[in-house]
Amino acid sequence: MEAENGEGQVQVRLKTKQEQYAVPDVPYTIEGNVTTADLNTFVNTLLEQAAISSGESNSPIEFDFIVIDEYLRGRLCDHLREKEISFEDTVDIEYVERFPAPEPQDCLLHDDWVSAVKACDKWILTGCYDNTINIWTVKGKHVLTIPGHTQPLKAVAWVSVDDESGKFVSCSQDQTAMLWEWRVGTNSVECVSVCKGHERGIDCVDVSPDKSRFATGSWDTMLKIWSAEINEGGEGTSKRAKESGTTRVPRITLQGHRESISSVQWMDSSTLLTSSWDHTLKIWDLHLEGIKSEISANKSIFDASYSNLNHLIVTASADKNLRLYDPRTNQGNLVRNTYFGHSQWVQTVMWSTTEEYLFISGSYDNQNKLWDYRSPKAPLYDLLGHGDKVLDIDWSNPKYIVSGGADNTVRVFKSRKAVPSERMDEDK
Amino acid sequence: MAKKQVKRKATEFIEKKKVKDIDIKSTEEDEGLQEDLLQNISNEDNDSSDDEGAAKAYQSDDSDELEFESDEEGNYTSKWDANVPSENSDDDDEEASGEEEEINESDIEDISGEEEADDNDDDDDDEDGISDEEPISSKESNIKVSSNNKEIKKTKRAEKNKPNDLNTAKKALEAQNAKTNESLNNLKNELNDKEQIAAAPANKAEYEDSDTSDEEDIRNTVGNIPMHWYDEYKHIGYDWDAKKIIKPPKGDQIDDFLRKIEDPDFWRSVKDPQTGQEVVLTDADIELIKRINSSRVPNPEHNEYEPWIEWFTSEVERMPIKNVPDHKRSFLPSSSERKKVSRMVHALKMGWMKTMDEVEREKKAARGPKFYMLWETDTSREQMRRIHDPVSAPKRDLPGHAESYNPPPEYLFDEKEQREWLKLKDEPYKRKLHFMPQKYKSLREVPAYPRYIRERFMRCLDLYLCPRARRTKLNIDAEYLIPKLPSPRDLQPFPTVESLVYRGHTDLVRTVSVEPKGEYIVSGSDDKTVKIWEIATGRCIRTIETDDVVRCVAWCPNAKLSVIAVATGNRLLLINPKVGDKLIVKKTDDLLAETPQVDTMESERIKTAVQWSVAEKEEQEKGVRIVITHFKPIQQVTWHGRGDYVATVMPEGANRSALIHQLSKRRSQIPFSKSKGLIQCVLFHPIKPCLFVATQHNVRIYDLVKQELIKKLLTNSKWISGMSIHPKGDNLLVSTYDKKMLWFDLDLSTKPYQTLRLHKNAVRSVAFHLRYPLFASASDDLSVIVSHGMVYNDLLQNPLIVPVKKLQTHEAREEFGILDVVWHPIQPWVFSSGADATIRLYT
Repeated sequence: MEAENGEGQVQVRLKTKQEQYAVPDVPYTIEGNVTTADLNTFVNTLLEQAAISSGESNSPIEFDFIVIDEYLRGRLCDHLREKEISFEDTVDIEYVERFPAPEPQDCLLHDDWVSAVKACDKWILTGCYDNTINIWTVKGKHVLTIPGHTQPLKAVAWVSVDDESGKFVSCSQDQTAMLWEWRVGTNSVECVSVCKGHERGIDCVDVSPDKSRFATGSWDTMLKIWSAEINEGGEGTSKRAKESGTTRVPRITLQGHRESISSVQWMDSSTLLTSSWDHTLKIWDLHLEGIKSEISANKSIFDASYSNLNHLIVTASADKNLRLYDPRTNQGNLVRNTYFGHSQWVQTVMWSTTEEYLFISGSYDNQNKLWDYRSPKAPLYDLLGHGDKVLDIDWSNPKYIVSGGADNTVRVFKSRKAVPSERMDEDK
Repeated sequence: MAKKQVKRKATEFIEKKKVKDIDIKSTEEDEGLQEDLLQNISNEDNDSSDDEGAAKAYQSDDSDELEFESDEEGNYTSKWDANVPSENSDDDDEEASGEEEEINESDIEDISGEEEADDNDDDDDDEDGISDEEPISSKESNIKVSSNNKEIKKTKRAEKNKPNDLNTAKKALEAQNAKTNESLNNLKNELNDKEQIAAAPANKAEYEDSDTSDEEDIRNTVGNIPMHWYDEYKHIGYDWDAKKIIKPPKGDQIDDFLRKIEDPDFWRSVKDPQTGQEVVLTDADIELIKRINSSRVPNPEHNEYEPWIEWFTSEVERMPIKNVPDHKRSFLPSSSERKKVSRMVHALKMGWMKTMDEVEREKKAARGPKFYMLWETDTSREQMRRIHDPVSAPKRDLPGHAESYNPPPEYLFDEKEQREWLKLKDEPYKRKLHFMPQKYKSLREVPAYPRYIRERFMRCLDLYLCPRARRTKLNIDAEYLIPKLPSPRDLQPFPTVESLVYRGHTDLVRTVSVEPKGEYIVSGSDDKTVKIWEIATGRCIRTIETDDVVRCVAWCPNAKLSVIAVATGNRLLLINPKVGDKLIVKKTDDLLAETPQVDTMESERIKTAVQWSVAEKEEQEKGVRIVITHFKPIQQVTWHGRGDYVATVMPEGANRSALIHQLSKRRSQIPFSKSKGLIQCVLFHPIKPCLFVATQHNVRIYDLVKQELIKKLLTNSKWISGMSIHPKGDNLLVSTYDKKMLWFDLDLSTKPYQTLRLHKNAVRSVAFHLRYPLFASASDDLSVIVSHGMVYNDLLQNPLIVPVKKLQTHEAREEFGILDVVWHPIQPWVFSSGADATIRLYT
């Protein structure tokens, strides 16, 4: 009866990897029905005691508690019961400082749906359904509007950025990708070349780590690799290209998907990850110019993201769920975890580039969610703000989570964790 | 001849070999036996004359023909020879075997020479043969014998009166040794012969004809009678001359005694009971008797220790006996035998032939005791059931109060009841009670029950005649009767949740259609607009305004064309949506821009019904390319799979209500001259040149090439709303306004294979998925029901239909619910358009 009601007591041992918050490593007997808040108070009390004894004072810190590789959400006893852990055993609880909630910082207004966003250190690049590309500063100041495409933008990506100039790619439903060069000083932009070759709208783009190439995936099921250099090939061709408006053809065309490619990402300089509506993830080897491995899911995949920190793939699909795959296992079809939380079609997902455990997702339920991959039941934070479907999200700049949606806005959320470093940057 | 010689040589070789073997062996043992043999020889000496005869008898063996004949024949010939005058026989032999003998002689000489050379060892050889029991083939011995005989003959010719010659005696002995299978009779005959020879050599001719020894000395002709009949007479029978044979005088005992003393032959004189004469036994007789008494073989010449003759050698010879190589046939399995064996095997298989075991078993079974089932019918199931599980006779009702001798007064009949009871005399079974309750003061006064015997009899009849069968109660689970349907979980994927809502129309959306590649959809609404949407985002890409309510839109199923057929009012618009591949868009524009030459004159009937025209400039900008104006409002439009033909339906068009337009030739046809009813919708067969035409009640299938009716499907419903054909073309779904969906298996029957009553209100639309085994139905009850409809390639297996999901998210608007449902061409996603001006995507 006790166990059912959660009245039982559990022996716990509290551990942490953050040395400054360590508490004595002794087992504590606590009530089974404690929640994260209770544990928080408990740990903070312990820390306070330690601080008093050492003559310091500490402000209370928010912790999250990981019990058996999973975040504690709700009562401890329920969690244990679900994991089928005996109440008799001593339970190890790891606590980590809670990732601070990102704050909404800005709302960048556009004239139409924003279907593509990409942030770099100082700038935010957005692609819009009104066929324009916009450049904003991270502070929210509009810098430039670039018309050029004849149909809605679908994806944008920075190739390289420095203080004087920036280079970026934009992909559109008009079946072309455009490579642009932007001079910051004069705030002028020039279309370096138009990449033609896809037979239908281009849906996704990603630039290789060495900034020399970029890959595009399209509705015509093709994956094409293009050069990202300003001057492609020899002199003669460039001359001719200048005259004819600099058209560019793909370096490599890879065929293998049966349906539209929804996302493409470079895993390293010669490996590409693509996800498709044909329910598969494919990993391509550019040396072989073929498929290295394949993970088949049972739903269409709208976005996939690979993390270089933990080497896992997270995918978004129409059934509200995010799924975690491990490309290294032989049984690639095995879903390692499923993340419940969205109430609609999940359109976009992206791993944090700095935090090993975190990723963000954007869905048609007007929400962005920040997830820890150890917490499948609930996200860490819901990033509210959008008034309509979220179409693209970006966390390339660890300080800012940027998302564009069908409410004609780009929302910028400041990730507070990065604040100190930012301050340091400013101090410099 | 040569063969024989070879054989002979072979045997000689064997013999020699043996001899050598034996020589090598020490012959110490044999010395004792040697003495025996010498004794034998000495005994033999006495019967030298006999030996001669025997030698003679074996003369015939010399002939080659008889070499392999049995001994007995040899004996026979010997007898025959014996009967023939000896000189003649000799001559004959010589004549008969002229050359042969010479050859033989040479052989013989060889042997004899050898023998002579080994003369001293000869005895030893024989003894060795005996002692070692080394089998020497009889042939060999015969040969030897014959050779010896020759020798004998020679010696005879040379010196006939030298019977005591040791050499000849030895040879004779050998000859006699060779006689292996002589019976006692033969022996006796011989003995008799000898006797005769001994007793009456002169009378030889006298017994020439006689064969038997019984008749040898019948001087008394009295016959075979008891001799004591002559006891009283002085004579004893009669002799050949019919003279009495006088009994010899019978002396007294003194005479006997005297004779015993005087006569040296007394001990060997015997009285012949036949004649009463005294007979003096010869030495041979005595010898015979002695041998018999000492229970030895009577014939002294019989050798009990004759060498074993191995007729077939047990040794494996290294060299073949014959020089001829084996015939080729001997290596080949005999085909005739194989045939015979296979015939036997077949017979065994078919049971025509029986194996020995089987035959034995059958015999055993036939031999064994037989039991007959006397009451065979008693073992039937029902009979056995009566024994093991008897049905008890129905119990009689217990007597009620009315039967009491002193019933309560209410049970007693009043007058009316009594009258009634009596009235039913003729039909007693109608009475409530078969008796009249009566009251008695005491049990003693109750009379005998008159119906007792009858009732007992009836009861017995009932028990005896009434068939009592046990009725088996069927014990069937209700669940068992429900067909086993797979769990929807196993039938994934199918749409489960609403994913997107496409908002933008302002009035009910009558119709949707999906681009063949699955990136866009087009919708037509009562707000007189056609909208093109991006599926993945729900963005309305283009809105095309028309003049009238859009009744039906259909995206051309050919991916190489970018055309949407829109039925709005009287006009059919062919619109280029300008989405997707730019090349295709441009190609389509070019294709639709050029007007092909129309060669054929169109009939008045068509001309008045349809007019083709290129769109006005204003409309061209919207994307409209061709306008086909009909004479009546168009209800439905549908494409043929290849995208060249489009069929339209005008329910008010009477006998011109269905039209087929050909895009490439800008031509229209009216396939039916008469309408069989109010046409609701038409549908092209996905593979065959067939057209499904649904009137209000029935679906007709027409062959467009032969222009004839193939089939008429009976829906048994009041009003058909829509149709959808399975991509394989063998199954048709029909939705009706009377809440039903009908699944027709076109191969099976013209009646529905299954009628699905899933909806609570009119079913407006049904759709098969092109790839997945799914179909969906939309109804006015605001629900889309997704069902699993598996069609198997196996013709024997009926389609499996399992409703898997009910999707109910549309909002009600007046009495309409969902108006159209279509599947995504690739994904298991379904679109529904409703009266609430939305299109919804379920994934």
